Amino acid sequence: MANKTFLLAILASTALVGVSVSASAQSGAPIKVGLSGPFTGGSSSMGVSMRDGVKLAVEEINKAGGVLGRPIQLIERDDEAKNEVGVQIAQELINKEKVVATLGFINTGVAQAAQRFYQEAEIPVLNNVATGSILTNQWPDQKINYVFRTSANDIIQSSMIAEEAITRQGFKKPAILADATNYGQLGREDMTNALAKLNIKPVAVEKFNIGDTDMTAQVLKAKEANADVILTYAIGPELAQIANAMAKLGWKVPMIGSWTLSMASYIDTAGPNGDGAIMPQTFIEMPTTPKRKAFIEAYHKAYGGDRMPSPVSAAQGYDSAYLLAAAITQAKSTDGAKIRTALENLETKIEGVVTIYDKPFSAKDHEAISPNIPVMGLVKGGRVVPAHPEDIAGDKAMRVKPKG
Amino acid sequence: MDILAQLIVSGISVGMIYGVIAFGYQLTFATSKTLNFGQGEALMLGALVGLTTINFLIATGMGTLLAFILMLPIVLIFGMMQGAVVEFLGVRQAMRTKSEAGWIMATIALGIIFKNLAENFWGRDALRFPSPLPEQALSVGAVRIQPMEIAILLGALGLMIAVEVFNRKSIYGKAVVATALDRDAAGLMGIDTRLVITFSYALSSMSAAFAGVLVAPITLTGAAMGGALGLKAFAVAIIGGLSSGYGVVVGGMILGITENLTGYYISTGYKDVPGLLLLLLVLSVKPAGLFGSTAIKKV
Repeated sequence: MANKTFLLAILASTALVGVSVSASAQSGAPIKVGLSGPFTGGSSSMGVSMRDGVKLAVEEINKAGGVLGRPIQLIERDDEAKNEVGVQIAQELINKEKVVATLGFINTGVAQAAQRFYQEAEIPVLNNVATGSILTNQWPDQKINYVFRTSANDIIQSSMIAEEAITRQGFKKPAILADATNYGQLGREDMTNALAKLNIKPVAVEKFNIGDTDMTAQVLKAKEANADVILTYAIGPELAQIANAMAKLGWKVPMIGSWTLSMASYIDTAGPNGDGAIMPQTFIEMPTTPKRKAFIEAYHKAYGGDRMPSPVSAAQGYDSAYLLAAAITQAKSTDGAKIRTALENLETKIEGVVTIYDKPFSAKDHEAISPNIPVMGLVKGGRVVPAHPEDIAGDKAMRVKPKG
Repeated sequence: MDILAQLIVSGISVGMIYGVIAFGYQLTFATSKTLNFGQGEALMLGALVGLTTINFLIATGMGTLLAFILMLPIVLIFGMMQGAVVEFLGVRQAMRTKSEAGWIMATIALGIIFKNLAENFWGRDALRFPSPLPEQALSVGAVRIQPMEIAILLGALGLMIAVEVFNRKSIYGKAVVATALDRDAAGLMGIDTRLVITFSYALSSMSAAFAGVLVAPITLTGAAMGGALGLKAFAVAIIGGLSSGYGVVVGGMILGITENLTGYYISTGYKDVPGLLLLLLVLSVKPAGLFGSTAIKKV
């Protein structure tokens, strides 16, 4: 008897699910889109925010009827910020799940290792957080490139950092502190080049490993070289150790660095020692446009809290999903080559959270973010606020990529 | 001069942590000629159990310092139990079958299992550990030092002295020493040497767990924190000598200080190199370690 009731319950619930699917008026099988990022480990604050941003956008798109009359289904995979895991996931998403495109990548190394599989399979990638300059130009010998990006790359970031430190704030003796990963070392190179353009040579260039807990030696060297500003390329936990080592040595110079200075793991671990750090941001969690206001409210309604772990990742993730949806709609197909062509010739103008995307990509240019879009953010009281409020005042709030 | 002093002071506190972990290696090696290769994981588990306990105590409205002190016995007892489990599952069987390498594999395997358990239980993120002492650095002359660094130094020395006093003065400790000197003779005198070995493993993991909660406030806590520390402490144990409790303290300081000096005077990219060179040098010149006594193994 009990068994029968149980069976009936199952039947009834299946029927209910069936009803709810048809009620959303979407016919056809879902369009599968891959989502790869680190949802655990040291980069997880970025990965989770990116995933939540993408999910938010996909929910909205599906609620509005999906694309080509079909819902988008996200296939989420945790790449743990490990290159080899990223490669496995790429192969699984391409061969087993047969995704039509993939969104994601936080870590430059993971993206570098995994993207070639998409390139070979002719499936577009919208890289929404990783910043390594090389990522959209990995195969210069191949005519067709399937990798697009919606984050500010390291060339843009390093020249913004140099500009801020040298030109705007007038420092003359920068010290560069970078971690020993691909991210840190490629970034250090970009930064040295950006400084050379301003005829400045760093007074000290130091490095450290992920997981290092004592930065005394590195910070002392910068101090002894009489550095007047510290430029960083590293991720949250180690950046916090730098701020803590400076506080311990009773020496304080400003820290200006790549956008990772906005990571929650930096802000929370460094606490008051971390205040004052400056970094490029494509998005600051402030309701400066109606679209941003709606996004911030929807994010906190869905995921709780009053501060996004990584607002930049969330915003770029959210926008990347809308760009992909627009491209599929325009291509009228889920074929990889057609989606790529549509991305390169996007006709609809999309108002995103970061910017207004008006023909963001072309066959030659796969970077949606131009140097004029990011602004400098400042860590203050556990949040990121604009470093120079005048930069985003009034109609400067929405910065758009120049035509051409 | 000031810089040299600063580098040495910072090196000593890191070195003391290496020393306490290496002290744990030395404890089990003395009684059973085996080591727990999962010592770094014992440290990590101690720190994470400590984190959960201290957060629970703070949530009840307790001050951080009081919560930290109340947490210590829980972490120490947990460490002892964890060590006993390692001995029971990993070492006892290998010793019974007189396997030469069985315990190596078994303790490494247990270390991996503990790490995976911790990842499932506490997640893979690095977590902040509340500091029981003010984080504002003190000035001693031109040298700046964090109160927690002094606590590490005193705590580590205190623990090692306590264990040594226990071994030398108490009847149970004498059983440990007797087993260390000659296991067969100790067995003939009516000492349960198997229990003594279990006990030495318990003490060993207890020191590692204690090192975990000492170092946690100045670093971050997480499932991955043990690996590098356990390995460096192993180098310290080799440098100082596995048969000398006092050698590991000096060995730890040597490694901690050379790391910092190299980082500053040569390059931060080569920070880990001299420690390893020293390890190779000691192994080729004085294999029993700087302070170890050479054992003659009769076959």
